[in-house]
Amino acid sequence: MSQPALLRGGGWQPLLWLALLLAAALGLAELEGLFRLIEPDSRTVIYGRAAFIDLLGSHVLLVALAAGVSSLVGVGAAIMVTRRWGADFLPLVSQLASIGQTIPPVAVLALAVPALGFGSGPTLFALMLYGLLPILRNSLAGLRGIDPAVLEAARGMGMAPLQVLWQVELPLALTVILAGIRTSVTINIATAAIGSTIGARTLGDPVISGLVIGNTAFILQGAILIGLLAVAVDSLFEQLQRRAPGA
Amino acid sequence: MIELSNVSKLFDQARAVDDISLTVATGELCVLVGTSGCGKSTTLRMINRLIAHSAGSIRIDGRDIEQIDPQQLRRGIGYAIQSTGLFPHWTVARNIAVVPRLLGWPAERVRQRVEELLQLLELAPAEFAGKYPRQLSGGQAQRVGVARALAGDPDILLMDEPFGALDPITRESLQNELLRIQQQVRKTIVFVTHDMDEALKLASRIVVMDKGRIVQQDSPQALLAKPANAFVENLLGGQERGLKQAGLLRVDSLMQALARPTSAVTGPRIKATDSLRQALSLMLWHRCSSLPVVDDQGRQVGVLQLDALMSRPQ
Repeated sequence: MSQPALLRGGGWQPLLWLALLLAAALGLAELEGLFRLIEPDSRTVIYGRAAFIDLLGSHVLLVALAAGVSSLVGVGAAIMVTRRWGADFLPLVSQLASIGQTIPPVAVLALAVPALGFGSGPTLFALMLYGLLPILRNSLAGLRGIDPAVLEAARGMGMAPLQVLWQVELPLALTVILAGIRTSVTINIATAAIGSTIGARTLGDPVISGLVIGNTAFILQGAILIGLLAVAVDSLFEQLQRRAPGA
Repeated sequence: MIELSNVSKLFDQARAVDDISLTVATGELCVLVGTSGCGKSTTLRMINRLIAHSAGSIRIDGRDIEQIDPQQLRRGIGYAIQSTGLFPHWTVARNIAVVPRLLGWPAERVRQRVEELLQLLELAPAEFAGKYPRQLSGGQAQRVGVARALAGDPDILLMDEPFGALDPITRESLQNELLRIQQQVRKTIVFVTHDMDEALKLASRIVVMDKGRIVQQDSPQALLAKPANAFVENLLGGQERGLKQAGLLRVDSLMQALARPTSAVTGPRIKATDSLRQALSLMLWHRCSSLPVVDDQGRQVGVLQLDALMSRPQ
């Protein structure tokens, strides 16, 4: 009963994963002996071209930036086409959302290079584009899944259109929208790693480098960090979803 | 007072409502009744501008509703619907508080109003205020829906088949509740239903609609006595008309009163406030031609003879 609200109902889980992630990012370099067991013959067994914590930072920044932009665009577009004045665009947008979902993320990344060149720019672009689709699809599903009687009542009570949107529609669609953002972010954590192949600085760097020079220890270090990041972020979203008003 | 003059509504080319004129006086409980698709719901929803009318004019207390901002208009009109439309993410108290909050009432006044309404609808505030709609039974949810419609203390209440989805027992208790509340608050109510029994029970005036037009409007007694055509007669239940009419009359209108009440009676008996329909049913069941009539305390206050029912003037 005296537990703080944040920690009730499994609220400690994301904290645990985040702590593990940070500990790994800061401490993996100290485990040289352990990784030596895997790669006894290599000259170095700890990826050294950049500190893991820096790679983690730039990985998270890339994903967060992409998630922020695609959430704004995706939720915004879904809101637009579910208004009476935007209804004409609904078929087009919902078709785009489902078609886009069938293209694999790597393809989006590969297509971004000829258009935007190498580096973080095209990676960010590919992440935004690909991350947009699950958010758009879920926002549409969430907004269109609201009981029409509830909307009718809201209008009948005398709520203005913006009040209906903010007080009724968005809160009720929130769990579904959050699920979309969760999918988007989880996919993008993995996709961002592939961004290393086109020159973005991410946790994929040790993996790619390990693959190129045949160093399993490097691959493992990158994979551990990417995995922990994905699990930590996912459990964070799970908690958020559980706390949404419509849940 | 609500006045509809020559109001029509066209959906594409179909006339959902066809040139109807209707005046609902202040304090009246006017029931629109008809089969589905007859335009009764459309008519109701034109009054609070959820649907725009295509032709004619609608005035509330003399003001054309098209001159009133739709949101302002709706905040001044209570609205209850069959599926309740309660906001699932808000507690019962927050649901009821919607209109008062939209009207900008101070928090303390909103709180008092919510409590007052929960009590009026016989929902214990301590138990129900904090519940969510999914934790309520159908009947309780509909009570909350009615409370929410009444919350802003509107002069007008629009009710679209509010009790249509409830089981017969719950429906009847809510109908009684509505009549009791109407005694207390005297709103101008427009009530839509397809159930003629409900209409006969609640209405001070029944408006029968068919294919977008008003077929007949009259008091329940007058409607039963003189249905305008076969459609109305059919809606009234054809052969059961006699029973329905008896359902509108109270036992004490035909009983022979005793000079003074006697002590409690046992065996078959009927309450003075019950309907003649119930009396008739009791007589049929017990195969008797007279029944002692009792008051709320169970004392005999009169006798009801089957002959009195039969020799009653039309």
